[in-house]
Amino acid sequence: MRIFSVILVLSFFVTAGIAWVSKDVNNKIIGTPIPFIVPKGWPKPVYDFKNNPLTQEGFALGRKLFYDTRLSKDGSLSCGSCHQQFAAFATYDHNLSHGINNAQTTRNAPSLANLAWVKDFMADGGINHLDLQPLAPITAPNEMGESIDNVLKKLKADTAYKRLFSKAFGDATITTQRTMKALSQFMLLMVSSNSKYDKVMRGEASFILPEQLGYDIFKKKCASCHSEPLFTDFSYRNIGMPVDTFLNDYGRMRITRNTLDSLKFRVPSLRNVAYTAPYGHDGRFFALMNVFEHYRSKAVNSATTDSIFKNKLALSNFEIGQLTAFLYTLSDTTFLKDKRFAEPGTENSIPSFIHLH
Amino acid sequence: MKIGLIIWFSCLLTSTFAQQTITIQFRNTIGNKVLQLGESYENSLGEDLVINRCKYYVSNIHLVDGSGKSVSASNDYYLIDEADSMSKTIVITTSVKQVAVIEFLLGVDSIKNVSGVQAGALDPMNGMFWTWNSGYIMAKIEGVSSVAKVPGNLFSQHVGGFRNGENAARRIRLELSNFKFQISNFIIIEADINKWFESVHNIKIAEHPICHSPGSLAMQIADNYATMFKIVSVN
Repeated sequence: MRIFSVILVLSFFVTAGIAWVSKDVNNKIIGTPIPFIVPKGWPKPVYDFKNNPLTQEGFALGRKLFYDTRLSKDGSLSCGSCHQQFAAFATYDHNLSHGINNAQTTRNAPSLANLAWVKDFMADGGINHLDLQPLAPITAPNEMGESIDNVLKKLKADTAYKRLFSKAFGDATITTQRTMKALSQFMLLMVSSNSKYDKVMRGEASFILPEQLGYDIFKKKCASCHSEPLFTDFSYRNIGMPVDTFLNDYGRMRITRNTLDSLKFRVPSLRNVAYTAPYGHDGRFFALMNVFEHYRSKAVNSATTDSIFKNKLALSNFEIGQLTAFLYTLSDTTFLKDKRFAEPGTENSIPSFIHLH
Repeated sequence: MKIGLIIWFSCLLTSTFAQQTITIQFRNTIGNKVLQLGESYENSLGEDLVINRCKYYVSNIHLVDGSGKSVSASNDYYLIDEADSMSKTIVITTSVKQVAVIEFLLGVDSIKNVSGVQAGALDPMNGMFWTWNSGYIMAKIEGVSSVAKVPGNLFSQHVGGFRNGENAARRIRLELSNFKFQISNFIIIEADINKWFESVHNIKIAEHPICHSPGSLAMQIADNYATMFKIVSVN
């Protein structure tokens, strides 16, 4: 009887011990952690890193996926096709993004940067989590046109991916969730916070006169929507751009089905704006000058036009010049040339400006 | 000391064995006919139809005992897919001895609609997720009907939406009290697809061949599918 009791007590501790150890294993982070550094003075990121801890291995996998054309149906397009690093991860020169089979999409590819601070994605805010965002371009028939199922099949057939998934997640299972989380890891680290503007804010540099004058005008006339330090307040607004009758894109209304949201689009960030032309949700503005011209003379007053633009926006030629000088200080060449974000294998070559699509 | 240990051990044993397993099987019907994909039927609104796809989520299963106490029976999400007979059987383990009511959510709760990319039954790969307007399709029926004036006569009703005023998930409450109660280890729940089209609202395929976004039509179909379940057998 005594021995029986001892066995019971021992078995209790062994069971408890096993439970404790296995709990520890479940919480263990696989791989080498990467710290996420929030630039000084910036708000807290909205992305929950606890559910997707950043690691070297996860980042490397995400980077390979981002540049893998197998994510598209015919193997012609990768995420990087429309999100080019030299264009601050927007598309150089295209008003609308191009899809497979000569398809044309209905929107201008946005610049990808500082995504850890973004809650809802797309110009209409339809996608509510970074981890879900890549599924839209992958499956849209006029973008990459592929099924999630087929993407996973292609990845599973590649032993290199088995190895990378294993390193990033502890075993070689390839799932939608893991694929998306790896892509998120790559994109989350794409932080642009080293422009001249940032250096001035940190006290490491100073504006020349036109930049400073531009900054003063910016704070008066632009910053209520393009608020610092992310240069957007993430709101949806109608800035008086009439609907394009070929696209019939009514923006936010498509998501909320509320007529008050007709023609409202998300305020884009202005970081690296010198590199992201053309502008506007449908890329209708060829250059910055067209944007200024829209604000001061072409904005159309409709039921949902933002009150700020009811009487257009007074901008003199002088102001446009100074504002341009300021906007150029938002260019972050550290970010644009960061080799960590380049296509794997191209680190040591000159970035390709040959554009195929 | 010894007696204490023995009591502790026997308590451990009883609490382990007090758990009972309950099997819930879903059976889709059209009126009194068991649904078969690809077969021709006429719904109660008099419209001909062939159903090629019929899928819906079941989640947040709760069991209520005779005293009215509600106990969560599973934290899992189940995708009931007519094309996959395995998916139509759910096995749960519970400490509730006398089940008086089964409750479940037809659909996916709003939390899982806003928590990023999910796995398992909720994997977006299962074709029950809107990628352009994040959110789960709670239930879908696709098929062919001569009254559907769309290409190929292919009607397609995808019902979803989780935002306030557009939430298409519905809480289903089914009482077992009408059944001679035995051990209730095997429960068959029937879903009458006729009710999808004709119940609280009349959803004519001729008028609504397509539903591909949240909103008022989705809400009406949701009101209808909230009424399509009943328990037909307990033993």
